[in-house]
Amino acid sequence: MSTYLTQVWAIVWKDLLLEIRSRERIAAMGAFAVLAGVLFNFSIDTTTTRPEDVAAGLIWMTLVFGGLLGVGRTFHLEAQDDAFQGVLMSPAPKDAVFLAKTTANFALLYAVSLLVLGVFSLFFGLNLGQNLGWLVFVLGLGSLGFVALGTLFAAVSTGTSMGETLLPVLVFPLLVPMVIYGVGTTTRLIDGRPFSEVEGNVRMLGAFALAALAAGAVLFRYVVEE
Amino acid sequence: MSTAGMRRGGLVLTVLGLLGLITLYWMSFFWVDTEVNQGVVQRIFYVHVPAAWTSFLAIGFAALASGMYLWLRDDRLDRAALCAIEGGLVFATLVLITGPLWGKIAWGTYWTWEPRLTLTLLLWFIFVGYFMVRNATEDPEKGKRFAAVVAIVGALDIPFIHLSVVWFRSLHPDPVVARPDGPTLPVDMLLTLLFGVLVFSLLFFGLFLFRYAVEGLRAEADLRARSAA
Repeated sequence: MSTYLTQVWAIVWKDLLLEIRSRERIAAMGAFAVLAGVLFNFSIDTTTTRPEDVAAGLIWMTLVFGGLLGVGRTFHLEAQDDAFQGVLMSPAPKDAVFLAKTTANFALLYAVSLLVLGVFSLFFGLNLGQNLGWLVFVLGLGSLGFVALGTLFAAVSTGTSMGETLLPVLVFPLLVPMVIYGVGTTTRLIDGRPFSEVEGNVRMLGAFALAALAAGAVLFRYVVEE
Repeated sequence: MSTAGMRRGGLVLTVLGLLGLITLYWMSFFWVDTEVNQGVVQRIFYVHVPAAWTSFLAIGFAALASGMYLWLRDDRLDRAALCAIEGGLVFATLVLITGPLWGKIAWGTYWTWEPRLTLTLLLWFIFVGYFMVRNATEDPEKGKRFAAVVAIVGALDIPFIHLSVVWFRSLHPDPVVARPDGPTLPVDMLLTLLFGVLVFSLLFFGLFLFRYAVEGLRAEADLRARSAA
């Protein structure tokens, strides 16, 4: 077990180190998130709509689109010069590679989702109040489900001639549960409702994330095999 | 089963299905009573619901065949999944055509984000994704594996999508057959519906066998062309 974790950690660390040094994906995702917030601000007529009512939906949409931007490029760097072959030929089992890639993506997307929460609450004047902790938790669960599906299908789309353009077609229909439960939960938490009211939704978000992780860990080997 | 056997089987099932379809139309137009609240428009139910049932049968069947394909790597299983997905796409399209036609009169609007209609729309997109992945790979073996992954994850996601869209909104008539306390439909409507499900399943498997035979011949032709070259 500890070897397994060491192998996972080695790949996670490699990916994060690459990201820390190049800041390629995190910069694109972060800038996208903030700029989306600016554009969304102009897309709302505040004389007819209260920003609080639509903020949750906009936060999740920013996460989905910004996430695609970053997760879609998971295998991009390693696709050059077939560097990914090196990772696959390492003694780490394929599911460890998948979990490591997903973990690294999760770290990126979760950082961006917290940035989104902060920026949007500033832009839209949200009062997160006592639910801040739960909001942070719910965004984490949502990000986890997203990166699990996103990483699996990023591997698929990288292997096709259509590349990243195929990714939204594949994952959007599958992400519907995450968006519905995520937005439903976040809207109510932003509205200051108690956590007990959204507990069922949060459980479903968790179940979705776990199922996506398990399916990805099992199926990833068939996507990357040569 | 040999190709000729499959074509014979497909022919028998399809002819039975088409005869059944004529009977189903006769039943749903002349035999079954008109539903009290919705009137004549409710008769589309006997096409709409069996088509929906068949499209879900198709994704289940395709996911099963895809899983077996990834395990055993027998090309026949991949062809079975491909043909099932094609059939599923046809029947899901039927649901998406008949649903709005019914909805316009029953609910006054062509489209609502009603859970089961939404689920079918998303299923339709999963079917489309299956073909896009398959066609966008230069290496056919890779395309088969990718498509299998799409079918399996799509089928696994369906319970989640179903629960979430039900939670999101429900306008659709509640289930009238699969209920814990037994069906609430009058006997003649239930019989017509069940007959419709049988007919559509026969048609699905009939068309499936035809398509499967064609794919088998295509694979054989490919093989011959390659060995001749």
